[in-house]
Amino acid sequence: MLKDEKRVESITLSGRESVRLANPDVRDEFGLETLDMNMGPQHPAMHGLLRLILELDGETVVRCDPVMGYLHRCQEKIAENRMYPAVIPLTDRLDYFANMHNEHGYVLAVEDLLDVEIPPRAEYIRVLMCELMRLASHIPSLGFLMLELGAFTPILYCFRERERIQTIFEAVTGARMMFHYIRIGGVKADLPPDIPQKIWDYIEGLEQRFQSDFVDLIQGNEIFISRTRGVGTMSQEKALEMGLTGPPLRCTGVDFDIRRDYPYSIYPELEFDVITDQAGDVEASYRVRIAEALQSIRLIKQCLEKMPEGEVMGDLGRRLRPAEGDGFGRVESPRGEFSVHVVSDGSDTPYRVHYRDPSFCNMQLLQEVIPGHYLPDIMPIMGLIDPVSGGWDK
Amino acid sequence: MQTVLNLLEMEPIRFFIAFGAILFLVLNLAAILVMAERKVAGYIQLRYGPNRVGWRGILQPLADIIKLFTKENVAPGRADLWIFLGAPIALFIPAVLVWIVIPFAPGAVVADLNVAILFFVGVTSIGALGVIMAGYGSRSSFSLLGALRGAAQMISYEVPLILSLLGIVMLTGSLSLVDVVNAQGDTFWSWYFLPQFPMFIVFYIAGLAEVKRVPFDLPEGESEIVGGFMIEYSGMTWALIQAAEFASMGLMSAITTTLFLGGWQPPLPFLDLGQFNWFWFGIKTALIMFTFQWIRWSMPRLRMDQLMDFGWKILVPACLIWLFVTAGVMLIIPG
Amino acid sequence: MAVTLPEGDLQTRLESYLDGFKNRHGLEESVVEGNVVRVAVEPGFVPAVLATAREALGIMHLAFITVVDRMGSFEVHYELLDLRGGIVRVKTTIQGEEPVIDTVTNIYPTANWHEREAYDMFGVAFKGHPDLRRTYMWQDHFDHHPLLKSFEISTRRTFEGLR
Repeated sequence: MLKDEKRVESITLSGRESVRLANPDVRDEFGLETLDMNMGPQHPAMHGLLRLILELDGETVVRCDPVMGYLHRCQEKIAENRMYPAVIPLTDRLDYFANMHNEHGYVLAVEDLLDVEIPPRAEYIRVLMCELMRLASHIPSLGFLMLELGAFTPILYCFRERERIQTIFEAVTGARMMFHYIRIGGVKADLPPDIPQKIWDYIEGLEQRFQSDFVDLIQGNEIFISRTRGVGTMSQEKALEMGLTGPPLRCTGVDFDIRRDYPYSIYPELEFDVITDQAGDVEASYRVRIAEALQSIRLIKQCLEKMPEGEVMGDLGRRLRPAEGDGFGRVESPRGEFSVHVVSDGSDTPYRVHYRDPSFCNMQLLQEVIPGHYLPDIMPIMGLIDPVSGGWDK
Repeated sequence: MQTVLNLLEMEPIRFFIAFGAILFLVLNLAAILVMAERKVAGYIQLRYGPNRVGWRGILQPLADIIKLFTKENVAPGRADLWIFLGAPIALFIPAVLVWIVIPFAPGAVVADLNVAILFFVGVTSIGALGVIMAGYGSRSSFSLLGALRGAAQMISYEVPLILSLLGIVMLTGSLSLVDVVNAQGDTFWSWYFLPQFPMFIVFYIAGLAEVKRVPFDLPEGESEIVGGFMIEYSGMTWALIQAAEFASMGLMSAITTTLFLGGWQPPLPFLDLGQFNWFWFGIKTALIMFTFQWIRWSMPRLRMDQLMDFGWKILVPACLIWLFVTAGVMLIIPG
Repeated sequence: MAVTLPEGDLQTRLESYLDGFKNRHGLEESVVEGNVVRVAVEPGFVPAVLATAREALGIMHLAFITVVDRMGSFEVHYELLDLRGGIVRVKTTIQGEEPVIDTVTNIYPTANWHEREAYDMFGVAFKGHPDLRRTYMWQDHFDHHPLLKSFEISTRRTFEGLR
């Protein structure tokens, strides 16, 4: 018994487990025992390092208990020992599939504390990069979904697109994954002169092959439909109760997008639609992601067209000492709401940094939705949430 | 010289030599199929596949075999060792054994059994035993699930597989594969895949399920049960299971060719190559194997309940209906 | 069954939230700043205030719970979104080194893992939580809470020499 546990008046185990512990011989109506199974953290198809403790009744999952922490780096503690700008490369390691959004969220939080003027060109570049990142995250997530259903080929088509976007990132930021590009007060460097044209050409090409590579290849497949339709269905109330955001919430029909409802950066100046779907199952989340990728293409084009000239870095002192207070940054990452809460005590290191990562919050769904589904349905439901290990483990 | 040849043609010796040749063929077929599978996958997936060992990676199977031979063979500590080690053999033997009844060319058959179709059905169903042995012997919950799935699937799909053969048996009036091939004639429109088209489709699908290929690879199901019944195998035992898988895939292609696509019969009479008609047999078998691989790399996997629904609610009734149709047509048009 | 999200002008909605909190709980120091309603409550009233927010005011979404170790006291921030531009920030301060507060999981079920995380990282005991285990750290034989300021790390750095 640990010292804290004594203080907690009602530490209870989750429902079924307590029943089992109280009565170890619990059997179902046929006198058969259930099978305990451990899925992960080294399971090859699992998204990152997640461990699911499953209780199976035949192929049906009776209980699902996610165990996290296999990639926990305590980023929030590390951030407390770094100066404000030095936290940005750490945020890249959070949700390593959508790094730009993490940087953007953190930078917005610090700018909320600092009250600096961001040059408009920097804002456009930020949104451009974030939307490219969303494209580079949504398209592979379709591939992951198919991989989980047992089809290997789509993932390679999807990663081809991600690789090309990463090449663009490499030209702009100098890194393929851990960018450290969005800085407090602007962005690290201006776009290289030939890059806007390259992005434009790439986007045009992607738009042309989008239908054939990611929609026709997948959407009409009878097996895909039968494996995803009605799997992981949740109601709007359930989705809101579970605190879902992003595509998992929008696929139930709740019309919520941070970019529109809590606008940041230059999103109010851009035109885009918030995609919703009514079904709330895995297939709906697939459709939402497809449509959102097309909206990202639209946003990227607008950014490139409207991009103003000028500086890309605001005027900041060398050493940032924000005033005491709280800073909040909230962005729509490809997985949902990514929020950062920075508490400053007036020194040059944050007093406390809290990340609200969408993977972490969306994963609460697993406990609620998976029981009652078949074992092979777990992976498509993971594909619905599409969590990233670095995200939920901070 | 002549006496040696006569000696070789004496029954037990001829059989052993021929069976040795079959074994050699099957093992090589497995290696070539692994290579072909990886190449096909590569070209479907916008990449090259293995291209480092030899010319365009042609020696890759050799490298694989060397690697697998030198790998340590690890068994789980709590495994039931005899069952665990016996399972790959139980999987491999049926995959080889059925080849002896397949006619490769006119007169080129190891054993012309008069119950060859029955022999095929009986021996392939031993494969389910190997799957159960592998899953049970490994003492892993993943293996056990894979084995249960495998057993259920293979036994369920045995039913449409057998039913789809009955039409051919009715048309031919014989259970011997040599008779079936001879009855099909040397024009491609006289092969059984046209009059028995629904049966051909059912046989093809049930065959896919029987050899555990996508979309019916639930016993392996690497995205949920990570290889299923073969999860604990490594080194040569794993290689033997893989060889059995690929051999049975080749076997299913060969049987499909023999039963529905005219076996060694040439597609048109003037293309008859006489003794070298095994060329046509090889071409047709390779085409069927390619379609297996094509499906493998472009389809997702079914779920267990959907698999069972598909087998029992669609394939079996379709077979029965077409069986009645065949019987009716045979009554109306005698001969 | 569709969920109705709040509609209408943002400012009037924020005012109505503020009025709701003031009328029901007498939270006189609450203010509206921009699109944020700031509410500061005593720890004991947190579940009641959040219940008001969810049931009476229809604020559906609990974004996150932040705990800040103030060395001697703990601040707990609850960030609520009405999904249409309005934010409610409920802040409470728990005195003492061993914080205990009532859970809000019965009001916002999503608080489940947020509270588990807070318990894991700070040792904040949430009374009535259905499943209060650690999220990240070892379930047993680890008796520390890493985000406490008293948890020293070996690479602690100061930047006093820099300019």
